[in-house]
Amino acid sequence: MPGILVIGEISGGRLLPASLEAAATGAALAKSFGEPLYGALMGQAGNVLNGATEAFAAGFATLYVVEHASLQNYTAHAHNGAAQAVVSACKPSVLMAPHTLRAREWAPSLAAALDTGLVLDCTGLATGGPDGADLVALKPVLGGGVVAEFVVRGTPTAPRMITLRSGASARAESAPNTQVERVAFEPASNDRVVLLEEIAAQASSGPKVSDAKIVVSGGRGLGGPDNWHYIEEAAAALGAAVGCSRPVADSGWVNSSHQVGLSGNSVNAELYMAVGISGAVQHLAGINSSAVVAAINTDAQADIFTRANYGVAGDYKEVLPAFVERVRQLKA
Amino acid sequence: MARLKLNIFVTVKQVADPNIPPSHIQLDDSAKRIISPFGIPPVMNGYDANALEEALRLREKHNGKITAITLGEESSRDVLKRAVAMGANTAVLLSDPEWTHADGAAIGQLIAAGIKKSGPFDLVLCGRQASDTDGGQVLHWIARHLDIPVITPVVKIEAVEGDSITVQRLTEDGVQRLKVKLPALLGVSSEMNEPRLPSMRGLMGAGRAMISAWKKKDLAVELSAPRVELRKLAIQIREGKAEMIAGKTGAEQGAALADKLREKGII
Ligand SMILES: Cc1cc2nc3c(=O)[nH]c(=O)nc-3n(C[C@H](O)[C@H](O)[C@H](O)COP(=O)(O)OP(=O)(O)OC[C@H]3O[C@@H](n4cnc5c(N)ncnc54)[C@H](O)[C@@H]3O)c2cc1C
Ligand SMILES: Nc1ncnc2c1ncn2[C@@H]1O[C@H](COP(=O)(O)O)[C@@H](O)[C@H]1O
Repeated sequence: MPGILVIGEISGGRLLPASLEAAATGAALAKSFGEPLYGALMGQAGNVLNGATEAFAAGFATLYVVEHASLQNYTAHAHNGAAQAVVSACKPSVLMAPHTLRAREWAPSLAAALDTGLVLDCTGLATGGPDGADLVALKPVLGGGVVAEFVVRGTPTAPRMITLRSGASARAESAPNTQVERVAFEPASNDRVVLLEEIAAQASSGPKVSDAKIVVSGGRGLGGPDNWHYIEEAAAALGAAVGCSRPVADSGWVNSSHQVGLSGNSVNAELYMAVGISGAVQHLAGINSSAVVAAINTDAQADIFTRANYGVAGDYKEVLPAFVERVRQLKA
Repeated sequence: MARLKLNIFVTVKQVADPNIPPSHIQLDDSAKRIISPFGIPPVMNGYDANALEEALRLREKHNGKITAITLGEESSRDVLKRAVAMGANTAVLLSDPEWTHADGAAIGQLIAAGIKKSGPFDLVLCGRQASDTDGGQVLHWIARHLDIPVITPVVKIEAVEGDSITVQRLTEDGVQRLKVKLPALLGVSSEMNEPRLPSMRGLMGAGRAMISAWKKKDLAVELSAPRVELRKLAIQIREGKAEMIAGKTGAEQGAALADKLREKGII
């Protein structure tokens, strides 16, 4: 019987939490289609992979694990070789994964190799068609101002493919997997792409934007890199991660790994603070699932105030330092 | 050893201006296409402009030729003219009524055929995604049909030496440096550069630019059934309103915001 296969991602030495969101969406789909739910993980043999295997407890009928030295550092070539080995092992009707920077590369590359249908960055899935066998994917387009509804088609031998935007679903409840199965994999040689080195961005203190409880984000309204310390001070006072809008990353004020939005990170924070950010749809696409949004902007008509719960119409240079001081008092 | 003479193809797509506020977006009657509202002309996809800019810089260093290629309606000639005005040597338009509803896989297959028909290629530069579809797929289908490696999102081209190119690919927490054999395809991200504006001379010359225009009969391509089928589009308008924090001065507002967040148990 075919099944729904959810490929989890290991990032920063552990299972990426968004993998469990994909598992929850996969479980709902498996129920609608009446098919089993499978999971898969790939990496180098060792503690990290073992830890992720344990953490990826979403009640899979089988959790397939591919171990190989070539999977230690991600490359699309090795990743997709491993993914194909899992697909051959369980012949799923749907393959799903969280929408990460890596998945933006390997998933369409795999879809093209398998000649199958894929929709990236979905915010919801449904079934449709006369016999309920169609896979319907909801995906924001045009930056997020429009939602498209697609029917995704596979081939007799290849699964339909989906990547899911993080925050679009709750995480799967922890449930033991029925069995863990190792899948043998020997990567085909690839002399066309060679990974020379991985360069970590200058370690910024504080948590990562993608999984922080509080994020303080700055935009072009900051005026320049010399003012960036305002954001860092506010983040430090709140124990928050530092985020930014795209122009800030493009201009190199801070590294792109801090970028929030459609082409950056999705934020699932309890509090997202937007400072000097206008609130373009492409930016809002990254903060939709945050619980509370507070914004500081000189322009009382800025679009950010249509998403924000609390707003201050004012100059951040006056507002933010006083805010920070008060936060310190409240926390003392 | 620096490589001489690069044949570069840049894919450029004409898209609705991504800055149109959702309240101004219009759909056609079938609710399957976005129409540019009156007075807001379509633009070159932003990442494609980054790709073209990088091609121009590579040509300055290594010589060679840049071909801009697009698939779209007749009106997409405009995006090719802009590419030529920015500095592309030649341009190719793929346009046929039968391709109006082509999915990403089909567009990629057709563009690959257009590239092959246009001559030898060392490097294909695409945007990492188009700002209308936010699809992120077409480049991979082009690469598949040209049988060349694809790396995306690329934030820097370090060097072209011999038959390889060294690039930096964005990762969750930094970059990967990769050495890739040519011919190859790169998905360009906005960090790479700031696209130039067309020069006056370029704009004047672009009107007379030679554009090869090919239809279905010119490209011997058998398209398979669509793998992704659009059922409908729906506009999403957000109508919320923030609770605005009052205060006589900015400093008062700042402190009041902190108090508010504490009162609500958020901080
Ligand atoms: C395909 C595509 C993908 C994109 N992806 C992303 C993405 O992932 N993330 C993203 O952020 N953007 C993205 N964008 C860009 C997006 O469309 C906007 O251009 C961008 O978000 C604007 O950034 P900003 O708000 O910092 O700058 P601006 O729009 O310039 O806004 C600056 C704001 O600061 C305010 N301001 C000025 N001075 C002060 C002051 N002293 N105090 C307080 N406020 C002040 C102004 O009123 C203004 O509202 C994308 C665009 C495209 C086309
Ligand atoms: N119709 C088109 N004409 C030219 N290039 C295109 C077209 N569609 C997509 N592309 C290229 O492929 C990239 C990814 O497109 P998409 O898969 O739609 O996000 C774009 O940035 C373009 O460089």
